Amino acid sequence: MTGISKNGGLGRRQFLATTGAAALGLGVTGFPAVLRAQAAPVKIGLIHPVSGFIAFSGTQCREGALMAIADINAAGGIKSMGGAMVEAVLADSQGKPEIGAAEVTKMVDAGVAGIVAGYSSAISLATSQEAAKSNTPHVVDVGVADNIVNRGLKNTFRFSPGYGACAASAVDGLNAINQASASPAKTAMIIHEESVFGTGTANLLAERLPLIGIEVQDVIKHANPTRDFTNIVLQIKSNKPDLIIPANYYNEYVLLARTMRQQRIEAKGIYSVLGGAASNYKFVNEFPEAADLIMDCNHWFNPKSEVALQRKAAAEAKGLVYTYEVFLAYNAVLGLVDAIERAGSTDKEAVNDALANSTLDMSFMPYNETMMVDGQNTGAAPVITQVQKGDIAVISPADFASAEPVFPISG
Amino acid sequence: MKQLVLLLVLFAALALVPAFVGSDFWMNLIIMVIYAALLGQAWNILGGYGGQFSFGHAAFFGTGAYTIAVLQVQYGINPWVGLVAGGLLAAAVAGFIGFATFRYGLKGSYFALITLAFAEVLRILSNSVPFTGAGVGLLIDLDPSAANLQFATKAGYFWLLLTITFAAFLTAWWLGNSRFGAQLMAVRDNEDAARALGVDPFRVKMSAFLMSGMFSGLAGTFYAQYFLYLDPSIAYGSAVSVESLLVPIVGGLGTLFGPLFGAVALHTLSEVTRELIGDLPGASLVLYGVLLVLVILFSPRGLAGLVTALGLRRAAARAGKKETRA
Repeated sequence: MTGISKNGGLGRRQFLATTGAAALGLGVTGFPAVLRAQAAPVKIGLIHPVSGFIAFSGTQCREGALMAIADINAAGGIKSMGGAMVEAVLADSQGKPEIGAAEVTKMVDAGVAGIVAGYSSAISLATSQEAAKSNTPHVVDVGVADNIVNRGLKNTFRFSPGYGACAASAVDGLNAINQASASPAKTAMIIHEESVFGTGTANLLAERLPLIGIEVQDVIKHANPTRDFTNIVLQIKSNKPDLIIPANYYNEYVLLARTMRQQRIEAKGIYSVLGGAASNYKFVNEFPEAADLIMDCNHWFNPKSEVALQRKAAAEAKGLVYTYEVFLAYNAVLGLVDAIERAGSTDKEAVNDALANSTLDMSFMPYNETMMVDGQNTGAAPVITQVQKGDIAVISPADFASAEPVFPISG
Repeated sequence: MKQLVLLLVLFAALALVPAFVGSDFWMNLIIMVIYAALLGQAWNILGGYGGQFSFGHAAFFGTGAYTIAVLQVQYGINPWVGLVAGGLLAAAVAGFIGFATFRYGLKGSYFALITLAFAEVLRILSNSVPFTGAGVGLLIDLDPSAANLQFATKAGYFWLLLTITFAAFLTAWWLGNSRFGAQLMAVRDNEDAARALGVDPFRVKMSAFLMSGMFSGLAGTFYAQYFLYLDPSIAYGSAVSVESLLVPIVGGLGTLFGPLFGAVALHTLSEVTRELIGDLPGASLVLYGVLLVLVILFSPRGLAGLVTALGLRRAAARAGKKETRA
């Protein structure tokens, strides 16, 4: 047996021997060289409340962040670091600040280049502070409390607007809608959840609404979770405000809106500020009657951007409801990875500097140019949406509007 | 005396931990275990040794936490002063609740419900009044320096916590070896019989409540300085009350080392379940719950009881061998 086939080619045994030896040779010499050339992955920590009372929103955040990482890797990873892939390190804060902070220490030990967290303001305050102790870059995805970024931490950044900006936009937008109406609203009631997001937003609104001629009849706070809104809705019914302004998390928002519908509350409008459900397709699809014509000043994407619409389609193709948690977490990862790309390393100081000087193109959002001041993207702004005919339409500002406001809805 | 020596050796050994543990994650985990042991021992002083089951220790924890935070943020008072004030004010709140309940002979489930109600009232109050920051909460500025009771490394926090925890454990040891402790346990076992023997149950229970409240308040002051943020749910929420009683129940009620066993077991369990199936949302909590049920089911007297039972079994086996040889 020579190992050479009759037609002059290689025999089966010789072929196996040759390819085996070649494969072994490559295995010993070639492939490891290729592997050595492949840059080590860059780890990014994702801390969200994927269990507990805000689990839906936390899970949405996680999914959005993972989508961003998948897109970045599909586009070739971090090019300035030899195409290093981005690797997610996942953690569940369980809705508790101290667990969020503990997860930060674990991630810092695991060598993450940066952290994206933590959906709620209270968790974001704890995680960013813990990350500050090791100067680890920390990007807040959704937490809206202004003091997350304005307390001087050098490692903490937010690409989305805080509640100060949201409340200001909400009041200005409401004033414009109200002035253009034949029957403007003169009174309002604010219903808010009791934590930092709801209380902070309610305080700002209670202060500013009288300045545009709207009297705040009452401010009602409720616990998380609250499963019966009957008493609160009866209070609304007896006060008969022109406007009802909720600021709550998703579950409570849905229950409040449904109870208002059941109790046949008649007002000129329901105008949410950062309403947990009013800009949420899940709510609109599941409870179309309760959602109809609700307005909301909230985070939203640019409905005129092709990139934004493609991302929405991609999320929906994965079976996700495209809520603000999804795209804000996506943007937070994008902002962090962009900074690592520009820094060309995972050196914490360099990444923090790159974040502080970020000019990330965010034309897929209804924002002005990205400019960080004390960690806050001052170009970020919310929009006003309204549920119309089973869809969510942007009604203000005019540059991004896809429909005209319907106001008042009654009286 | 043997227990005291063991206690001293244990805490002396613990004090050396920062010299051997470099990782912040492990230091954090150890700190959270000691912190849970402090919460548990504070509750154990009243619930374990005194038999008064409180469901509202968050009232004292939150008072301590808010005291140090409010004094710092609103009045610029040094947190070292706030630490002492927090412990004292928490003891004062315990004194008030104790007086309101023991004076009128409330015990058992009524006592538990009253303490729960007081904690809830304080949560609602702190959610409403401006000096606690209401729902927005209080954020203590990050300014690491020992003078500010903020430490650059976790070792500083560890030693501070260990000192407070040692005081709590020493108090528990004293309860197990003093006339006062004997009176407290007599009241726990049979209040009427204790009274017949000349023990003043009101005075004894009040004293235990004051000590328990103070240590819980000190745990609150530590929490505030460690995490630098408080809101009403964190400070007065039911989670703290549950952790306070779960730790000694799992570890062993009315025993010196029970709260430490409980804290180690619960945190290890929590960490292991999170490590094993942490990526699956909520699954770690389910596994944690199942394991907890198993621990309580198979060790109703707590882990300290289990250790004692094992010790007794070995001693009996040794004695049996000796008899056989003889």
